[in-house]
Amino acid sequence: MTGTTIVEVRDVTRRYTQGRVTVDALRGLDLDLQSGEFTAICGPSGSGKTTLLNLIGALDRPTSGTIRLEGHELGEMSRRERSHLRRDRIGFVFQAYNLMPVLTAYENAEIVLALQGVPAAERKARVVKLLDDVGLAGLEDRRPDELSGGQQQRVAIARAIASEPAIVLADEPTANVDSETAETLLDLMQRLNRERGVTFLFSTHDPRVMARAGRVIRIVDGRVETDERH
Amino acid sequence: MGTSLAALAWRNLWRHRRRTLITLASIGFGVFFAVIFTAIGDRTYGDMIDLAARNGGGHVTIQHPEYIDTPTLSRSVEGASALAKLALADPDVVRVVPRITGNLMIATARKSTGAGFIAFDPALEDARTLSILDAIEEGGIFAASGRPGIVLGAKLAENLGVRLGRRVVYTTTDKHGELVQEAVRVTGILRTGTEGLDAGMALLPLAPFQTTLGYGPDEVGQVAVFLGDQRRAHRVAERLSARVGDRAAVVSWDERSPELAGFIAMKQGGTQVMEVIILLLVAAGIFNTLFMSVMERVREFGVLLAIGFTPARLFAMVMCESCWLASIGLIAGAAITAGPYWFLSRVGIDVAALADSQGQMEVAGVGMEAIRAGIHPENALWIAILALAMTVLSGIYPALSAGRVDPVESIRVA
Repeated sequence: MTGTTIVEVRDVTRRYTQGRVTVDALRGLDLDLQSGEFTAICGPSGSGKTTLLNLIGALDRPTSGTIRLEGHELGEMSRRERSHLRRDRIGFVFQAYNLMPVLTAYENAEIVLALQGVPAAERKARVVKLLDDVGLAGLEDRRPDELSGGQQQRVAIARAIASEPAIVLADEPTANVDSETAETLLDLMQRLNRERGVTFLFSTHDPRVMARAGRVIRIVDGRVETDERH
Repeated sequence: MGTSLAALAWRNLWRHRRRTLITLASIGFGVFFAVIFTAIGDRTYGDMIDLAARNGGGHVTIQHPEYIDTPTLSRSVEGASALAKLALADPDVVRVVPRITGNLMIATARKSTGAGFIAFDPALEDARTLSILDAIEEGGIFAASGRPGIVLGAKLAENLGVRLGRRVVYTTTDKHGELVQEAVRVTGILRTGTEGLDAGMALLPLAPFQTTLGYGPDEVGQVAVFLGDQRRAHRVAERLSARVGDRAAVVSWDERSPELAGFIAMKQGGTQVMEVIILLLVAAGIFNTLFMSVMERVREFGVLLAIGFTPARLFAMVMCESCWLASIGLIAGAAITAGPYWFLSRVGIDVAALADSQGQMEVAGVGMEAIRAGIHPENALWIAILALAMTVLSGIYPALSAGRVDPVESIRVA
């Protein structure tokens, strides 16, 4: 169920300089992503997976090259425009969940909608349904420290897709959970991809994620080594 | 709404409950000390000024233009009634009385001594304008009929070896600089507890004394003007001066009592320095709390930036935490201060233990029996504004630091 191109990465390099050491995390990388894809990016540590996600997520800027998200050239956007783009069109799922510890599951899932200024009644309707969809019905009032790792990651997924973004960027989403929970989370994300058409892009080392992905891109030394569709 | 900036800031504040409570306590006690010190100063110095005004020449004095440089009885003012009427027309003036003040020699058959005196009209004055009238322990003030008589300080009477009803002779200079004498009976003995007054003050009836000095019936040494609020003395003096013109000089209490004015200015300066130090210490505590809190949440700020917070919104969130701290701190300050303030304003601290043998503390000739509090409303408002401002300002740097977080770096490193 893939469609239009939502991400275009063209000849992107990202160079980090720390003291006298210079590291080229990405070296002239090209990539297109279509809406509705369930894509895994894999590769050894330091290959540039997370750097690529940060660049597509408008958290970082490339040293050279261009990245377009739904036609918007990210490099030309101001800091504020990038913030709004992340809020409205990009969802993030992190390895360590990264929920706000002072907010409940409901509030964590709701926060992006609140930022967007969605009316309270509409927020409530959407978030309640969403939490039900991700299997957290009845746990809305729990804070992150009252939830298991898997449940926290479900809240993180709910937060990421609440605003119906163009793409969800998930950085090693199964790395901190046990096998059973990882399978359940993958089932959930695959279902959301199928039923809601949510586009997922993972960075992962996890063979289970790669096995489920419709497309697996292998990056080595900052370049795409292989790009396979299943 | 749980995810509003204010709600988020409120919850963030209570992540480290103990640290927040300690910070709130420091704000509260900072406000407490600032209010109490200021209130004691306001009340004490106000009381001292009022007391000095009552036992001197009022909050504002209309007197001969040269009296301040050459304080002799030849420097009198005429047309006292008209001047009094003019002064009473000012909205800040509550009472106006004519007086003659100066020095004289008092003698008995065996002894003589110098003393200061206040000649006043007993029909016009009571303790509200001449507070030592409350301190008469034997006899009373001379009859309102204006019969000659004298009220002596207890120590003065003791030094002269006279009792109530005995005669003394006072000697002074008249309007023309000639020596004049008058024999009068002691009609009252006063004991204020203030050494300077008890050993060196005499009260005389105005009308007979005017005759003794060769003054006309509407001629006095000064017109003492009393105000509802002593802090308006300068403004009233300026206004009256413009109306009186060259006929007389109009001076405020601090020009007549530079020693007392200097003492109060010095003490107020000291209090202000102490208050600034207290508020700076409080600000340092708040800064520390907020900065630590920001540093501990760098990863969270990175995540918030990732999900769509703008740096400005992060800045606003931390500033909101600072505002919460300021508001609750101020409420805590009010709660801590209320009880002690009530006690100090109603009861006060008896200073007899610290005082001289008469049970009073004497400063610049003004005796005080107790330390009491009574803050001027505008000073209370200033303390509140300063406490709020310092708390909020303390949050600016931590808030800016939050807004400058690099999301990539913070999410990766933490």
